[in-house]
Amino acid sequence: MSDELPERDADKALAGEYALGLLPPDEAVAFEARLASDPQLRALYADWAEVLAQLTDRIDPVAPPPQVWAGAEARLFGTRRKFRVGAGGRSGWLATLMGGLAATVLVLGLIVGADLMPRDPASPTDPTYVAELVAEDRSLIVFAAYDARDGTLFVERERGDPAQDRAFELWLIAGTDAPVSLGVLPQDRAAVIQIPDALRPRLDGAALAVSDEPPGGSPTGAPTGAVLAVGQITNT
Amino acid sequence: MAGRDDIENWLARCGMGDRRAFAALYQATSAKLFGICLRVLQDRTEAEDVLQDIYVKIWRNAGQYRVNGLSPMTWLITIARNAAIDRVRRRRAISGDSDGIDLHADPTPGPEARAMAASDRMRLTDCLGELDERHAQAVQGAYLDAETYADLAARFDVPLNTMRTWLRRSLLTLRECLSR
Repeated sequence: MSDELPERDADKALAGEYALGLLPPDEAVAFEARLASDPQLRALYADWAEVLAQLTDRIDPVAPPPQVWAGAEARLFGTRRKFRVGAGGRSGWLATLMGGLAATVLVLGLIVGADLMPRDPASPTDPTYVAELVAEDRSLIVFAAYDARDGTLFVERERGDPAQDRAFELWLIAGTDAPVSLGVLPQDRAAVIQIPDALRPRLDGAALAVSDEPPGGSPTGAPTGAVLAVGQITNT
Repeated sequence: MAGRDDIENWLARCGMGDRRAFAALYQATSAKLFGICLRVLQDRTEAEDVLQDIYVKIWRNAGQYRVNGLSPMTWLITIARNAAIDRVRRRRAISGDSDGIDLHADPTPGPEARAMAASDRMRLTDCLGELDERHAQAVQGAYLDAETYADLAARFDVPLNTMRTWLRRSLLTLRECLSR
């Protein structure tokens, strides 16, 4: 920064900028790295969080509709309710394994600032490409963001769950080529998928699609179930 | 209205896997957090989706609450606000630019900002009132409208670096006022 503030003030302002979500991505990452090891900085951040939360004091509470709670319960505890078509998840070893895989992906995000705010796999701050896969009736919406620097594709199901004992599989459709599987979407809503080197150049201008498949994904290497949602990959 | 002790107690029990405590926490806090989601997202269906994500996150992280140094309601509000802001930014990334979104094209304060201005009960309001009006709007725009430095610089028609210098100094003025 060009303005010259005493170090303590500089940190105070920096913590405020971070709490407001204003820091450029590289500075936010550096700030989080410091947070993990600097209790004073954590205290500065906590002060800002308390102050800024007061900006919500005048927002009127609104009772959410019952399906929000039903959906949260279904996602967390697997209780099935009528509200969401096909709500609920896989059970048994497969779910446990997939949960474990997702958790491994999460670890990196969780170390930093774990004691301040929950971290899920985060969408890249400066993605190269983004796509929104939307079902015709909008019952399924998947957001994807690709970061060319490390070849990772962040994927989040914003709405919709697989039917009971079925899975969502993600496909890359480049030009007129046959769809290439990018893997089965885990039970957790957000995940990070590593895109193989060979596929990376093919993302530009391609489309992503989600199909309905047996648990574990298509046994044939091509989509076997209905294609539920499609979205064009666009440059940001 | 549930008190701080109630919310802390529920969070602690959520951390130990107590679903009834989670239900009680949801009952007591979901309307507040849904209001925040609606305010930030300005879209009911999206606010419902995000609220569900928020409570999944709260349940999974409740065990870490004790060590984070925030009051329980602030912790919940911050999770909700951050989740809603992330979703707004994602929408803007999809739509290709932030200029096309008129969510904050009107620089007049939103209803709750006006309500805040009418209130003399809160220190934060008083202290925001001591700032240059545009800087106070910038703080609120960043917190509730997902505005970035680029958005704010465009809105107030100043270079980005100037905007940042202004806002940093305003933040310090604000803290100084709050500590008086």
